Amino acid sequence: MDLLLDFANSFVTQLRSPTLAFLIGGALLAALGSKLTVPDAIYQFIIFVLLMSIGLHGGMEIRDADLAALALPALMATLTGVVCVLLGWLTLARLPGIRFDDAIATSGLFGAVSASTLAAAIVVMQQENVAYEAWAPALYPFMDIPALVLAIVMASLHKQKAKAREAAAAGGEVVAVKRERVKVGKIVKDSLRGSALSALILGLAIGLLAEPGRVYEEFYEPLFRGFLSILLLIMGMEAYSRLSELRGVAHWFAVYALIAPIAHGLIGFGLGYVAHVLVGFSPGGVVILAIIAASNSDISGPPTLRAGIPSANPASFIGSSTSIGTPIAIAVCIPLFLALGEMVFGAT
Amino acid sequence: MFSNATKLTVIAERLLQDRLIDMLYAGGAKGHTLFDGSGKGEHGDRVGDRASVIHDFTIVQIDAVFGKDHQARKVAEEIAEDVFIDYAGIVYLSPVEVIRAKRF
Repeated sequence: MDLLLDFANSFVTQLRSPTLAFLIGGALLAALGSKLTVPDAIYQFIIFVLLMSIGLHGGMEIRDADLAALALPALMATLTGVVCVLLGWLTLARLPGIRFDDAIATSGLFGAVSASTLAAAIVVMQQENVAYEAWAPALYPFMDIPALVLAIVMASLHKQKAKAREAAAAGGEVVAVKRERVKVGKIVKDSLRGSALSALILGLAIGLLAEPGRVYEEFYEPLFRGFLSILLLIMGMEAYSRLSELRGVAHWFAVYALIAPIAHGLIGFGLGYVAHVLVGFSPGGVVILAIIAASNSDISGPPTLRAGIPSANPASFIGSSTSIGTPIAIAVCIPLFLALGEMVFGAT
Repeated sequence: MFSNATKLTVIAERLLQDRLIDMLYAGGAKGHTLFDGSGKGEHGDRVGDRASVIHDFTIVQIDAVFGKDHQARKVAEEIAEDVFIDYAGIVYLSPVEVIRAKRF
């Protein structure tokens, strides 16, 4: 009972964090039709500073880290991304009235990772003095890219099967359907070139190879919280404006968007726990893995999926991720998995 | 001094920009102009000035002037048939008069 009380207590405390207030504030402004806008260039710059900052910090820490310790968590991150997409295929794609392409694109997006949720999680964890390996955010691409690639490959296989079936039905004999190969290399390249991941990787490289300690401490680190608050305001405004798109698609997408972040976070937490037992992955690292598993790509994933699965309706996957998935990941999953971490690992 | 030419205008999501420009040049265009855009259509409002979380879904307008009308028509048809089946966008032609016809 005490455990549950503790859990409820820390959950409620998290709900009052400023992070969440900015997110809700943004949604409220959009709902009231406020004329307040944040210019696009500023948004792009904020993404750059946040991810660069996370990258620099991680890169400086990787230098002293045992790289073997990184391997298993990276594998677990990949596994989490793959399992999340398969889970969507087993559940969402089989519901009545759901088109396969829409379902698999949505699963891909929810298996992928959100930079804004990751940044929000890092601020909360620093505030709570939860220690984690600074390279843990570098697990991002290990989960993000496999999820997007798998979703696109599955959609392509499904399309080929459907074509083959049509051809067989029409001609009576099985006609060899020309196989269209999915260009996995192109998807990986596009993902790595996206604004968020490029900044993260460049930061990691500079942190690893150069001595950016001072510029990190004097410039990037002090800006982090303030910029994050503006980013969350933007995410809140976007969440509200995309809500109208979601009204046009099946309600199952909204249900999926409510449940999937929590389910995916639990999968990430479980696999992270395995890494904790086997190679001593820190409790804070397990929580980060759970939170990035709970997050859904809101910046770089949608264009990749739109290009990779053109037949999927963007209102279904972007509506469910931006207007429901991201708020759930930030508002519910960050406090939830921090509290779960405290419960499982004791005071961290 | 003035010669007849055909201007092809295509408005689409930024995501398609490179693919469309490749199609224009493959069809005989010798240059193009790109504009950032915003507006409203069948697929809802497209914002231009405010932060759009997904940059690739904002719209662009691409103009290219073709000296040969049949080339412009062919490219416009290709774009409509190959690209605008899956994506939102419009493509149209307009007659224009150009100076220095050799450039087009």
